[in-house]
Amino acid sequence: MTGLSVEGLSVLSRAEWPEAGDDPVKGPPKLAGFVVSSFAPLAAEAAERCLRRAHGEPPAEPGRERRTAVLVVSKAGDTATDRAVAKAVDAGRSVQPLLFFQSVPNAVIGYVAKRWGLVGPVVCLSPESDPEQEALATADLLLLDDAADDALIVLLELATEDGAHGTATALLVGPDTASEVEA
Amino acid sequence: MTVRQHSTRKPVVVTGLAVTTAFGRGLEALRQGLAAGQPAFGPVTRFDVARRRVDRAATLPGDPHLIDEITDAVTQAIGRAGLGAEAAARTPLLFARHGDQAPPRLTLPEHHAQAQHTSGTEIAERCGLRDATRTYTNACVAASTAIADAAALIAAGREERVVVAAGYFVDADAYALFDAGRALAADGHLRSFSQDRKGLLLGDGLGAVVLESAEAAADRGATPIAALLGWGRAGDAFHVCQPHPEGLGMAAAIEAALGRARLAPDDIDYINAHGTGTPLNDSAETAAIRRAFGEAARKVPVSSTKSLHGHTLEASGVVEFAVSVLTLQEGTVPVNAGYLGPDPACELNLVVDAPQRVAPQAVLSLNAAFGGANTALVLGAVAA
Repeated sequence: MTGLSVEGLSVLSRAEWPEAGDDPVKGPPKLAGFVVSSFAPLAAEAAERCLRRAHGEPPAEPGRERRTAVLVVSKAGDTATDRAVAKAVDAGRSVQPLLFFQSVPNAVIGYVAKRWGLVGPVVCLSPESDPEQEALATADLLLLDDAADDALIVLLELATEDGAHGTATALLVGPDTASEVEA
Repeated sequence: MTVRQHSTRKPVVVTGLAVTTAFGRGLEALRQGLAAGQPAFGPVTRFDVARRRVDRAATLPGDPHLIDEITDAVTQAIGRAGLGAEAAARTPLLFARHGDQAPPRLTLPEHHAQAQHTSGTEIAERCGLRDATRTYTNACVAASTAIADAAALIAAGREERVVVAAGYFVDADAYALFDAGRALAADGHLRSFSQDRKGLLLGDGLGAVVLESAEAAADRGATPIAALLGWGRAGDAFHVCQPHPEGLGMAAAIEAALGRARLAPDDIDYINAHGTGTPLNDSAETAAIRRAFGEAARKVPVSSTKSLHGHTLEASGVVEFAVSVLTLQEGTVPVNAGYLGPDPACELNLVVDAPQRVAPQAVLSLNAAFGGANTALVLGAVAA
């Protein structure tokens, strides 16, 4: 066992939404195919910034050799999509077909993973306590288990009050080189 | 190059298991349903489907309470495993569930306050487990991902024992979403891997599994009911909601699971496929099995028991884990129901007429989800 711990992971790059210069009222750039909610656009924009800081232009690496896991971690998930579905059902209306796939948090991972060539495990969590610590512990386990070589973590929450804006943080983490040995 | 140092992984065994499907509550109800080979689908009466294109699902009678039922399943699994209160209090719960219909109908702050992780914590408290620090929400691979992570924790020696639980009961919101996405089978039958398959049908499902190191089980005199030999998870990097047509991610997950189990494709006696009955899934999954198994794909029996108990979404991994354990125990592989005839895109050795006696020693359970998520679990028989 490597003895990798949460503290043993290296953060290779980090990004936020919003950052300086962003307009929280306007929100993140729209994402084709996603409607009603800013959940997927927030995740995609934070991931894009984080991956660009680490890799420059996409893809991160061609082929399937490097396995980057993608974790979307959110306590409440996509509350806006959930509420839009509930509203339509209660009103006896049909649900917008696009909400079918965006109702699960892993859908946006398909967009990010295709664009950047990320072929590791796809994981979505609702953590009980500190989201970043739980996400790092999960990424650490995937590396320890040799299921991934590194991991993109996207932490996000939509606003808890009407009129407020959501936030997202993305981290690319890999094994701390101090925990590895030369072969 | 750099490599990570691994000590020998600890073998992982199953010591407790409980399951509920539309066939009824308990393993025996599922065993009888699989043996009979008759699908559990019927008209939906739990909520109004008059405006939907499809009106069938596999449901229990009435409108049972999901968290109460999962609590019962966890209690049963702990009882089967013979865990005392002290051992349970040291054991974490990894939980997976579909979103609750109630919170989106509350105020926005109340909705956020009832996030999905809260029900995992409630179940852990009710059952005397240590905690439930995370709830898996990655749709149809949520439970199987939790099982793989539980196994990883045990194999690495980070936990002696982990309980995994998951559940989904057919609800109006998910039904409306799948109807809007035209994913439900308009002919009212789930025909996995068949020609003229029209899509999936939803099903009630929940379950709980106690996983622990073989060493810990032996130390307390527990009798394993199966071994979890291997697990793999990988991504497609292909599409928001379509599987890779060549099955690259699922093939990678299968290869990882077989590698971890130190088994060759010829060693697998049965595959419990994801097999949703949608045109895209089943052809992509066929490609994955053929890619990972090579020539062995011609021989290994394959079925999707979703054709019997329906698609249980986030609970799929634990329900189909129970099917896999029963397959090992019974020596019989369950039927792939609703089959109308071969589809050239799904050339597999499907179990189509009746359950087959094969006395399996190792079985593979597959799951996939939107975003290109794939999981593979290898279960092995244990000496009686």
